[in-house]
Formats: sequence, C-alpha cells, structure tokens
Amino acid sequence: MNYVLLQAANGIVVGLIYALSAAGLTLVFSVLKIVNFGHSVLYMLGGYFAYYAIQLLGLPPPLAVVAAMALLFVLGIAFERLFLTPLYSDRVERKDEYAIIVTFGLFMLVENLALVVFGPFNKSAPSFLRGALHLGMLAITYDRLIAAAGAALLLVLLGLFMTRTMLGHVLDAVSQSRDAAAIIGIDPQRFYSIAFGIGSALAGGAGALIGPIFTLSPTMGDLPGVKAFIIIVLGGMGSIPGSIVGGMLLGLVEGLGVALYPVPDKALAYSSAFGALLLVLTLLIRPTGLFGRRHVRME
Amino acid sequence: MPASQSPLTLAGLAILAAAALVFPWRASDYLLHVTTISIYYAMLASSWALLAGYAGQFSFAHMALAALGGYSSALFVQYTGLPVPVGMLAAVLLPAITGGLIGWLCLRMSGPYLALFTLAFAVIFQLILIAEYEFTRGSLGLEVAPLFGGRAEHLYYYTSLLLLGASLVAMQALVRSRVGLFLQAIREDEDAAEACGVATARFKIMVFTLSSAVAGLAGAFYGHYVGILTPNIVTIPEMGLIVAMAVIGGIESLAAAVIGAIVVYIASEELREFGQLRFVLLGLAIMLTQRFAQNGLVAPLIERLGPRRKGTAEAVDDKAVSGA
Repeated sequence: MNYVLLQAANGIVVGLIYALSAAGLTLVFSVLKIVNFGHSVLYMLGGYFAYYAIQLLGLPPPLAVVAAMALLFVLGIAFERLFLTPLYSDRVERKDEYAIIVTFGLFMLVENLALVVFGPFNKSAPSFLRGALHLGMLAITYDRLIAAAGAALLLVLLGLFMTRTMLGHVLDAVSQSRDAAAIIGIDPQRFYSIAFGIGSALAGGAGALIGPIFTLSPTMGDLPGVKAFIIIVLGGMGSIPGSIVGGMLLGLVEGLGVALYPVPDKALAYSSAFGALLLVLTLLIRPTGLFGRRHVRME
Repeated sequence: MPASQSPLTLAGLAILAAAALVFPWRASDYLLHVTTISIYYAMLASSWALLAGYAGQFSFAHMALAALGGYSSALFVQYTGLPVPVGMLAAVLLPAITGGLIGWLCLRMSGPYLALFTLAFAVIFQLILIAEYEFTRGSLGLEVAPLFGGRAEHLYYYTSLLLLGASLVAMQALVRSRVGLFLQAIREDEDAAEACGVATARFKIMVFTLSSAVAGLAGAFYGHYVGILTPNIVTIPEMGLIVAMAVIGGIESLAAAVIGAIVVYIASEELREFGQLRFVLLGLAIMLTQRFAQNGLVAPLIERLGPRRKGTAEAVDDKAVSGA
C-alpha cells in the first residue's frame, strides 16, 4: 500500500513537470496549429543551460531556471523566424507535413549536437536543497517538492498570463481565428513568434526543474517528449487547462500502472507503454481529448 | 495511364541495371556490405515516401513495421524450422495486415494526429520487444538464421537488389495506375477527393498495406542478412534516418527516395570518423531541404533528365483544387 502511495506521490510531482512542458507544446499548437516534434530537445537544452548557468556563472539554482527559460525564449523565436515563416504564406502547400518534418529536423540537429557538445555521459545538476520531507511512512526529497512547486508556480503564472493580460487575450484570439484576429488589427505573425518563444521557454523551464531529480543527458528529453505528446492529446490539443489535468492524470496512470501491473518484473519496462496506450485510445475514442476544441488546422 | 518511356530513358535504365549487376566484381567486400545495407534503407525510404509523400500520410510507425517483419520472420523460422525464404514471405503478411489496420484506425486522422498516433504505436511496439525477452531476447538481441550459409556477400547483394526491384515495380504499378492519381488527390485535399467520388478510405488502407508490406520485407531481409535483431531498429534516430533519406531525395518520388537513401547511407558510412556530427548535418539537411527545396535534391534532377510526362500530376492538382 505504501508503495502504491509513494508511486502516486512521485507520479504527481513528475506529472506537474511534464504538464509544464506539455503546456508549452499545447500553447504552440493552439496558436500555430502545429505539433513541435522538437519540443523534447528544447526541454533537454533547458536542463543543460541551467546546469551551466550554475556551474560556470555561479547563479543560484532558481535564477538559473529563469536564465535557461529566457535563453530558450530567444532560441525559440529564432527557430520560428528562420524555419516556420513559410507556413504563414501559400508557399507551402502541405503545412502539416512541412511543420512535422522541419521540427523533426530540429530534433535530430539539436539532440546530436548535444551529444557532440555536452558529451554522451550523464551529468547531475546540483541539488536545490538536500534532504527529504517525511510524512508518516512516505519520504519525498526536497528537490522533488521544489521542482513540483516551481512547476505549479509557472503553470499558475501561465494561467494568469493567458486570462488576465492583454497579450494573453491576443494569443487566445489568434489561436481561435487568425483571420478574425487580423481583421481587428492584430498582426498574427508577431504572436506566432511570441507563442513559439513562450512554448520553448516552458519546455526549458521543465527541463531545468527536472535536472536535480533525474540526471542530464542529451537524450533526457526523448521519453518526456513522448509524454508531452500524450498529455496534449489526453487534455485536448490546444487546451492549457487540459494539459495540466492531462499531466497529472498521466503521472498517476503510469505510477499506478507500474504498481498494479499483474506481472511485476515487467511492469517497469512497460511504464511508458501505459501512457502511449492512453494516447492511442484517446485518439480513437475521443480525438478532442478532455477539454479540446474541435479539430483545428492551419488555415 | 502509364507514361510512355522514351528509348533514351530505357537505355539509361538498362545501363544503370547493368552497372548494378557487375558492381560486385569491382567492389570490396566492405563496400558491397555497405551497399547491401543501403539497399535495405532504400526499400524503407521509398515505401515511406509512397505513404508520406505520395499519399500524404505521415507515419512514424514505419520502422516498427520493418521490425515486425524482421522479428516475425526470425521467430517463424526458429519455431517451425521451415526454410528462411518461406519465413520471409510469411512474415510480410503480419506487417501488411498491421499496416492496413493502422490505416483503417487512422482513417479520420490527418497531419499531426496521425503522426502522434503512429509514434505512440512505435513506442509501444519497441517496449514490447524489450519487455517480452523470453521470445525476443530483449535488448540483448535475437539471433537470426542466415539466408545463405557461409560468406555470401554477393548473394545477399543480389537478393537485396531483387527485393528492391520487386518492391519498386509493385509500388510504381500502384502509383502509375488510377489509384496513384486518387492518392495524390487525397494528399492534396481529402475532402475534395471524397466529394469527387474517390473512395478515400479504401485507397488509404491500400497504400498503408502496401507500404507496410515493403517495410516488413525489408526488415525480414535485414534480420536474415545481419544475423541479429535488436529493439534499436525501432528507435527515433533510426526513423529519423528514413525521414532524412526520403526528404533529402524527394519525398514525392519513389526513385528519388531510393537514390537519397543510397547516397545518404553510403556517405554516412564513409564519414564514420566524424561520429555524431554526421547526424547533426543530417538534421540540418532535413531542415534546409524542407525550407528551401521542398521537392528534395534528387527529384528535380530526375524531372530534368527524365521523359516529359503528360502532366498527370498537375491535372490531379487542378482537379483537387477546383473541387475544394
């Protein structure tokens, strides 16, 4: 029973961080109508940027997370300007395929570049705070608690940003209809850049927060990347609240799936399969997910 | 309507075929091996191009289906003791059916939804290969019976050439038939195609089945040639290699994908000393080709050298557009 509880608690912590990364992915989808298949390498870069900010610049860990996010914001916009602008004109006939291929190229480029630059060996990011919180029989490390709190804070800020600020409203308007937004004087292109920048920064923030919990490696984003896909499908593509609920749900399903799978020695090997199965079933049974709007595509 | 081949093109193809046939006598064993593997990739890249480029169904499940072919042929031979060629032929059925099933399940999905669905399928399949080690030997790798005994690089090379040729003939027959036009119409605008009376469901399932069968055949050949199969075949980098080959060659042309695959694979083997940097370049090449030359680098060359077609593709384009 304790094992199940511990799995559930860990599932929620990790789920929050995945939700943060997925929120970035879903924001990009809602505004640009593309799935960024390079999202996972942005997450990985966030982890490494924070690590080097601490090691080389001597920044305190919380500031390093912010620095990593800022850097990814800029990188995200640079990529969007250089490679995604053809999507906004009629130069590209099949926008869905174009976006998949070019973001998948980003994935290959950055992941392999990371192997060259950062090396294939795992690095462990410095701890936010050593020790663990004991709750009865449960022990949760402070690193996990801080990462979860950081992710929750960023998600709340994102929610406030989207609902309470002018910029957030504009992004929402562009996501609902590019043409209608253009008619009332919004330049959609500017907000595509901003949305992609914010989406990249959120991926980077998630990677920076998870650094002290897991180790850093060039492929550290691969599985969380797949999880982010699962979450946005589960929550409904383009829905930020959906990505939060989806993230928690996924963490819980994987944690409990491992704890309850009938063949214990194979349960761990299948932990990612439970989530992937969830994605397959969601797309088959309810393609709009829990909170999604109807299918949306680039016009 | 099959485009009539000019004598010049036929002569060119004959020279190419002759060169491919005498190649083993001039090449070292190492180069022959690399070429054989590159032909395996050519089968995968061209069948993926048929699906993703020609019919517009972007799938990440292609390597999983190749692995399905490889593993089922290996296990079939291992458990029944039947000869390897029988196993290979039998093993094509499973990926073909699975591919058709994926096509059927994904009838209502397009673009990113289909890509995500097939990616999830590949992830699950890879985890099954790792977890069910009693059958698959997990990450250790499954030893596979060889197709030919002893040192037989030449035989493997000719076999791969035969399989590639047969696959290309089958796929080209589909592309050149009316179905090929329907597939292009589906790619350009599925709703318009359906409105024009194209039975989109049937043709989508058909193209998924054929492309998966070729992938499965390639996988089965690879297993019996290399002698070992590991779940690594299904990894994302491996899928990335296929995407890169097809995109760099030209995603809408089978021949361009074949040439893209052979050139990319042999180049990446020759540049082995550069290690991971090769894949950095490959990622960059995908992005730049897609950004500046969406028809790929090889396809425009073939267009220029090849016979003037009577505008079949354009006719369909216009039809699809006017129907939209």
